[in-house]
Amino acid sequence: MSIAEAPVSLRPIAPVQSKLRRTLRRYSLPAIGAFVILIWIVVAIIAPLLSPYMPSTVDVTARLRPPSSAHWLGTDVLGRDVFTRLIYGTRISLTTGVVVVLVGAVIGTLVGGIAAFARGRAEELIMRTTDLVLCFPPIILAMAIAAALGIGTTNTIIAMLVVWWPKFARLARSLVLVQRSQEYVEAAVVVGLTPSRILLRHIFPNSIGPLIVLVTLDVGNAIITFAGLSFLGLGVIPPTPEWGSMVSEGRELIEQWWVAAFPGFAILTIVLGFNFLGDGIRDWLDPRSRRR
Amino acid sequence: MTDGLGWIDRRRLLQLLGVTGGALAANLPDRVFAQTRKNTLVLGIDISDTITLDPARLAQYTSPMTVAAAYDALVTMKPGEYINVAPGLATKWGRTPDGKGWRFTLREGVKFSTGNVMTVEDVKWSFDRVINLGDQPSQYIANVDRVEIVDKSTIDIILKEPKEPLLSIIAAPEFIVMERKVAEANGASAAKDAKTADKAAQWINSNSCGTGAYRIAAWERNQQIQLVRNEHYWGGKPPYERIVIRHISDGAAQLLAIRRGDIDAAFNLIPEQIAALKSETSVRMAPLPSLDFVYMALTQEPEFNKALAVKEARQAIGYAIDYDGIVKNMLGGAALRPAHFLPIGVSGSTEEVARQIGFKQDLVKAKELLAKAGFKDGFEFEISYGNAAVQGVTYQDLGLKIQSDVARVGIKVNLRPVDQVNLRTEYTTGKSKGGVLTFWNPPAVDNWLWAGAVINRVAKRVHWTPPDDVRKLVAEAATETDAKKQADLWVEWQKQMVDQANHFVLFQPVYQIAVRNTVKDFPLTAAGWMLDLYGVKPSA
Amino acid sequence: MPQYILSRLFLAFVMALLATLVIFLLANTVPGDPVLAQLGDMAASNKEFVAEWRAKWGLDLPLWQRYLIFLERLFHGDLGVSISSQRPVLQDIRDFAPATLELASVSFVLALVVGIPLGIMAAVRRDSWIDHVARLVSLIGVSSPTFWLAFIMLAVFYGGLQIAPGPGRIDSIALPPPSATGLYLIDSVLAGDWELFHDAAAHLVLPSIVLAAATLGLITRTTRASMLECMQQDYVRVARAKGLRYRRIVIGHILPNALIPIVTLGGLAYANLLTGAVLTETIFSWPGLGRYTFRSAVTLDFPAIMGITLIVAVVYLIINLLIDVSYALLDPRVVR
Repeated sequence: MSIAEAPVSLRPIAPVQSKLRRTLRRYSLPAIGAFVILIWIVVAIIAPLLSPYMPSTVDVTARLRPPSSAHWLGTDVLGRDVFTRLIYGTRISLTTGVVVVLVGAVIGTLVGGIAAFARGRAEELIMRTTDLVLCFPPIILAMAIAAALGIGTTNTIIAMLVVWWPKFARLARSLVLVQRSQEYVEAAVVVGLTPSRILLRHIFPNSIGPLIVLVTLDVGNAIITFAGLSFLGLGVIPPTPEWGSMVSEGRELIEQWWVAAFPGFAILTIVLGFNFLGDGIRDWLDPRSRRR
Repeated sequence: MTDGLGWIDRRRLLQLLGVTGGALAANLPDRVFAQTRKNTLVLGIDISDTITLDPARLAQYTSPMTVAAAYDALVTMKPGEYINVAPGLATKWGRTPDGKGWRFTLREGVKFSTGNVMTVEDVKWSFDRVINLGDQPSQYIANVDRVEIVDKSTIDIILKEPKEPLLSIIAAPEFIVMERKVAEANGASAAKDAKTADKAAQWINSNSCGTGAYRIAAWERNQQIQLVRNEHYWGGKPPYERIVIRHISDGAAQLLAIRRGDIDAAFNLIPEQIAALKSETSVRMAPLPSLDFVYMALTQEPEFNKALAVKEARQAIGYAIDYDGIVKNMLGGAALRPAHFLPIGVSGSTEEVARQIGFKQDLVKAKELLAKAGFKDGFEFEISYGNAAVQGVTYQDLGLKIQSDVARVGIKVNLRPVDQVNLRTEYTTGKSKGGVLTFWNPPAVDNWLWAGAVINRVAKRVHWTPPDDVRKLVAEAATETDAKKQADLWVEWQKQMVDQANHFVLFQPVYQIAVRNTVKDFPLTAAGWMLDLYGVKPSA
Repeated sequence: MPQYILSRLFLAFVMALLATLVIFLLANTVPGDPVLAQLGDMAASNKEFVAEWRAKWGLDLPLWQRYLIFLERLFHGDLGVSISSQRPVLQDIRDFAPATLELASVSFVLALVVGIPLGIMAAVRRDSWIDHVARLVSLIGVSSPTFWLAFIMLAVFYGGLQIAPGPGRIDSIALPPPSATGLYLIDSVLAGDWELFHDAAAHLVLPSIVLAAATLGLITRTTRASMLECMQQDYVRVARAKGLRYRRIVIGHILPNALIPIVTLGGLAYANLLTGAVLTETIFSWPGLGRYTFRSAVTLDFPAIMGITLIVAVVYLIINLLIDVSYALLDPRVVR
């Protein structure tokens, strides 16, 4: 069917775009994302320099003050400065998000890789375990585990990890399975390379792309989940400033909207940052979208 | 848009959104109760804790209000008077001739809501049922040995420990009189095997067979309780034809409903919502005093915390806390603070007494005490608390406040949020390793219940062994018959407890109930059932 | 094929059992004592009374025995009695489920109705402004913390503009319609109470938008990706070359094929909506399963926790089973 090979553009009208504009379009969102993340990282590091207040100083005589020049984002029910707590809160959200995803990705990838290579019973066992974890709604399972372990940052991270690794395990397994059937791997097997060498030197580098995408997109996801658990009272131990618990403290104060609105907006921006970036990386790695 | 894939243009979209917005506003329901409204009282309150309306199984916080409206007890408590009981179904009472119990003379001509006359058998049967069902209320009258009929209008309650108090306990709505015939016809039993034989719980949950001003007509769980007028009420014709207790869990929704006039009273507003009602002229705030309080218990087990084992160190904490900030700022002034475990309003506890003998913030003294205790540079301890709030103030906020207060004298607090279940388990089994923030509300109004709790149960939890003279003091105070002497004994007891410094009462809530001016009398009570529903009257 | 389905069914059954075991063990590692949590202070201090109460709820038996009792009752369709509400768990779930079902269904429909057309438009007019809008909408949708979005919605439309009703399923003073299905939208129509229907519908607007946000993002993205994939297939080029109108190609050829992964994703997303409404329900005082679950978890109401987990796990497993089977039907190679 020679007709099929004729390059037919699907676009009814193909406007002439300068290369520069297209490049800008393609990279503007990920660039914005990276920029937002960078700003938050800087804020997390230099937080003490940005505010004259301490995040946990209680002053009940100055409670629920609206935003002003003294308190840029107002004060909460205990008279603490919302802006100060917000910028200190960056530290917790960023670290927990990154830690959960990285550790989850490492564990999941290892387990999934092993499953794909081991095949047989071991694979069956591992995959059924992931099924078992995945048949619980993540927030409910994490809630149950966090409640069982006790409230606290470390325990919440552990609870999230239990929920987190299976998706990486599944992705890693399918990636390895795809690569395994590739000719170069079969060749490597024939040559007599050890499985671990094949896995590390050949399969892993070739599968890293999708993993990076998932990791980047997932940091945002992890930040939201952690904040959600904190919101339910299962996250950090006070007085540690954390965004989810800050929203929770202000959730009934509709007239004093500043207590809950700003920390929630902070979550939105940082998660959006990671999603912009992850989306961009995906487009960039995806051969289909690179074609044009 | 040349493809015409059905995408609406922006103008149209905005139009649509505008229309939707308008339509929404127009559809905010204007509930019309006009025709029936005048004869109906509607209360907005969170009654999610109501799981039974059976008096003999009662253990929750909001259900007593309904039960107290449908049934009467032998004696009762009038709002504001929490020391002496008032006549209820009994008009007279005194000790039995042998001194082993109490003798009650029943009111003449009291009729149940069925129109039948109340008899002495009904009274005995009702008490027997509570005792033999063996549910939580039976615990409060564990001291009752038996109930004996003397003649057709006299009944004796014989006690195991004749000196321990009874009257104020049986004023609670758990110990009311039911119509035996009706109850038994619907499965109730007061026999020894009532535990298994009684099948009336379901019927009693949506009906009633009492002598109260109103009769329970329906209970739809987590929605509403309906009461209708008891035409045979012995205390005169009750003013409302119908009372609806609407379950509204959320303060914001209660606020909206009372503003619109859909409800006559809102029970669960937080301080910020109360402030929002200030400008509303048709709504007033009625203070509901309570005999509840929020307190911090502090262990003195040296294995848990060496510093807390030293009395002066605990006292230093007591002098470091900014109680005024808690009551005035965090609660907007809507609270009292007793000196110790006797709420303001009962014998020996007044605001004056609390001011004289209670802790107050004094940082210099706190530092001196720390030095005396041998912890000049302060020490560390943990405070556990659950995920809950009293009067809109969360335990967490209280913990944070205490943390920052005691930090000023060099004491470091580690906050430890725990779920309620673990918190209670730890606390009641004496495993709390530092402070516990929690709530106290008594099953009935009696000093002995509070003081007894402190020296028996609560003392164990903080690993304190009360010396014999303290026990003797409580026994003396509980049985003293002269009111003035009794009050003095209770003051003396509080003094010793403050010095012991195991418990710090942070505040005694004065709940703020929003009431519409369509209601004239709204007799709120601290006695345990919140509101004397029979006394609520509409304005003319 | 029937054999394959049977084997999958068996597997799903085993998984459901395992799921209850996991939750059972988890719930029992908690140091808290549910009996002490349910009793008043005086009763909780009386050892005999506590022991009696414990026996009443079967909490004095060894762990494995309690689990066996649970299983035995389960086979008789009995999920036990909730400790805190003192009612059969099944009855509790039956009472709370319709609220969640209604909210989840409306959100799901909302997400589909907006998400699919948006995804299609984005794919067809790739790199146009609509593609960017779609991308932005979906990214913001998946990036917004539900609990915060719920708060903002309430603060703006209920507190500020006062054009939306407050929390709850119906107006605080209105009474629910006579229960036929438990879904207020349907029940109110059955009862002929249009005012109540409007009320219930108005109360659904904010929470369903909040709950739909994340799903909407997901569906838009998937639709777009799936459309793009299908647009590059040969048959599209053939159709194009035959001179068919572009619109017909999209609707008649691309869309049906592109919908397959969306159906799969939709199934999962719906299951997620049903079970993942904990946060939304908390803020909107929505009397559904999410709030019930949360409350049961914090009061360590074992029978309730077990019952709800079982139901949730079964819903998940059934949906997964359906997906597996539909794959098997579409691609027989799956059945080895």
